[in-house]
Amino acid sequence: MPRVEWRVALRALAGFAVGLALWVFLSPQYDRVIAAGAEKVLRAFEDPPVTRLRPAADRFVTVDREDFDPRSKRPAIPVHDLTFNVILLTALFAASKRPFSDRNISGFLLAALLLSVTHVFGMVAEVMSIYVAKLGMWSRVNYGDFSRNFWGVANHFYRLVLMYAIAFMLWWIFRDRGIEAPAPAKKKKKR
Amino acid sequence: MQRNQVLFLVKFFVILLAAYLLIAWNPVNDRVIVPFTEGIARVSGAVLNFIGQDVTVNGTVIASARFGVNINNGCNGVEAMLILLASIVAFPASMKARALGLLLGAIAVQLLNLVRIVSLYLLGAYQPRLFDTFHTAVWQIIIILAAIGFFLIWSARVAPSRVASRA
Repeated sequence: MPRVEWRVALRALAGFAVGLALWVFLSPQYDRVIAAGAEKVLRAFEDPPVTRLRPAADRFVTVDREDFDPRSKRPAIPVHDLTFNVILLTALFAASKRPFSDRNISGFLLAALLLSVTHVFGMVAEVMSIYVAKLGMWSRVNYGDFSRNFWGVANHFYRLVLMYAIAFMLWWIFRDRGIEAPAPAKKKKKR
Repeated sequence: MQRNQVLFLVKFFVILLAAYLLIAWNPVNDRVIVPFTEGIARVSGAVLNFIGQDVTVNGTVIASARFGVNINNGCNGVEAMLILLASIVAFPASMKARALGLLLGAIAVQLLNLVRIVSLYLLGAYQPRLFDTFHTAVWQIIIILAAIGFFLIWSARVAPSRVASRA
């Protein structure tokens, strides 16, 4: 049977708790940064640029467009649903045998920075999936089947597995190598 | 980063994307994933009834007079199984080792997922203010961490000299 290294598990648990605390307490500020970044990306590809992402209550961001009917209801996105993979990243780096080594800390910071870039694109995919499919006639008039399929799949893929895979891949790239995997159990010699 | 690690990541991503596209395809979703999720709901419902919760199961919905949950994609453990599948298949190992890893890993993920569903139901019924955080983040990350942890233990066993020291 595989041998579980309990100290690794405990460090991962501690990292999980730290990541959860960061995510819970810093999310309101962090969500604003991500919304601002996603808004810039979306407006860069719009002509004229019309999208506005406004932070709202309960960690939601309201999707607004200057060309929407002012009387129509604005869709809202739960940003925290897109960013909680930071907890996974923190737990994975914390599981290292030397969690506070320079290499592990710098690797974590770099990975976290790149993860935040993916959060911006996660939010872009979320907004686009609303534009292409969830605004009734407006969506049908402005977007074709290809856009609907592309952004629908991109958003669902990100939410279902990609957000975890990104955290795992960033950890795999930037971890302090060769120390996180538990050593295999030694075989007993036959007497 | 060494070439074999880059290769692992590329394979991991390609397999993950292919597996995702397969399960997201409507015929597969309707004929495999939904019945599988209904099976999970039945087992979870049986466990909840065993501990006296008096729930009924209808398709993927577990409900009682107190609370109800609908098990959707993302809550059926399939996402963790995809991560496990992609990492194990991308890793250099024998077919037998991969098959055994996938089987044991899938069982482990689903047992943990059973605990997740039962505990989420109980949280929703008795501590509803905690439900959202546990549903959105806590359990989701625990399940994925378990899948990654299983992969690391498995990979250290099947290729200790190649991976634990170099990868």
